[in-house]
Amino acid sequence: MTKKLESNNTWQIGGKTLSSRLLIGSALYPSPANMEDAIRISGAQIVTVSLRRQAAGEGRGNPFWDIIKSLGIEVLPNTAGSHSAKEAITTAQMAREVFGTNWVKLEVIGDQYNLQPDPFETVKAAEVLIKEGFEVFPYTTDDLVVAKRLADVGCKIIMPWGSMIGSGKGLMNPDNLTAIRKQFPDLQLVVDAGIGKPSHAAQAMELGYDGVLLNSAIALAQDPVKMADAFRLAVEAGRLGYEAGVMKEREFASPSTPTVGTPFWHQFN
Amino acid sequence: MINVSVNGEVKELETNLNVSQMIEALEYKVKGFAVAVNTTFVPIAKYDETIIKEGDTIDILAPVQGG
Repeated sequence: MTKKLESNNTWQIGGKTLSSRLLIGSALYPSPANMEDAIRISGAQIVTVSLRRQAAGEGRGNPFWDIIKSLGIEVLPNTAGSHSAKEAITTAQMAREVFGTNWVKLEVIGDQYNLQPDPFETVKAAEVLIKEGFEVFPYTTDDLVVAKRLADVGCKIIMPWGSMIGSGKGLMNPDNLTAIRKQFPDLQLVVDAGIGKPSHAAQAMELGYDGVLLNSAIALAQDPVKMADAFRLAVEAGRLGYEAGVMKEREFASPSTPTVGTPFWHQFN
Repeated sequence: MINVSVNGEVKELETNLNVSQMIEALEYKVKGFAVAVNTTFVPIAKYDETIIKEGDTIDILAPVQGG
């Protein structure tokens, strides 16, 4: 009798126990309804949100925030747009009050062209925020030493990029990501940014990453809801593959069908 | 009267308003925002003791989509 196998591992991140390893963004969808449907079908239990300047109220409320609250999943506010530790810290403090969570996706951008994180300011901000009781989810490059510095200041979660934000290029440096995984077996590692296709997400999971965070790949797909379902499956498949243990690569071909008893055997000279 | 910057726009306010009074004066009616003055966060608990001064830069932020 066959039985469908599913990843039996719930996982812990930021003090919560979750079953989905897909973290999803809430931006760039064709419509609020489409965003809601995509998030629901993705199965994601963490959604990223942000803060921006608000015009004086006309009494309309905040429909976006109402939808997010109705999803009943964890909210991860980001500090997108920050270019210094000071800006990121202030944004995180404001987000904690507005969203009622001590979680923060720490983003400090160091280059406007490729939106590469500023590692120096990110570490500085992480240190301050951890002392203030935040659970910091730092967005960083795939640099091992930066990851070490983030761990040194108390980060329990590290989120290296796959490639540039919104690029959809996938994992630029799988070897770097693997090095970080090997160095930090006990930290929660999430590939954040650059994912374009479900196969990229599966690849990140096969590397042993605990989760994948993405937004554009779903929101900018021709059919975001269907793509959200595809990413749900890809993350599950990648995780299950990691747990099953991937075979070792070999330098040469090796037949999978038994050679003993091969019919019509040809003897080559 | 004093001039301050609110979310990047120059606004005229009465002198000696605290943050609660400023929010009322600016007609922010929908709750669910956070305030920073001169890039420093002002928690709700400190609204009444934080006085707005000439030239202050005020940011009032609310939830939006994010990645």
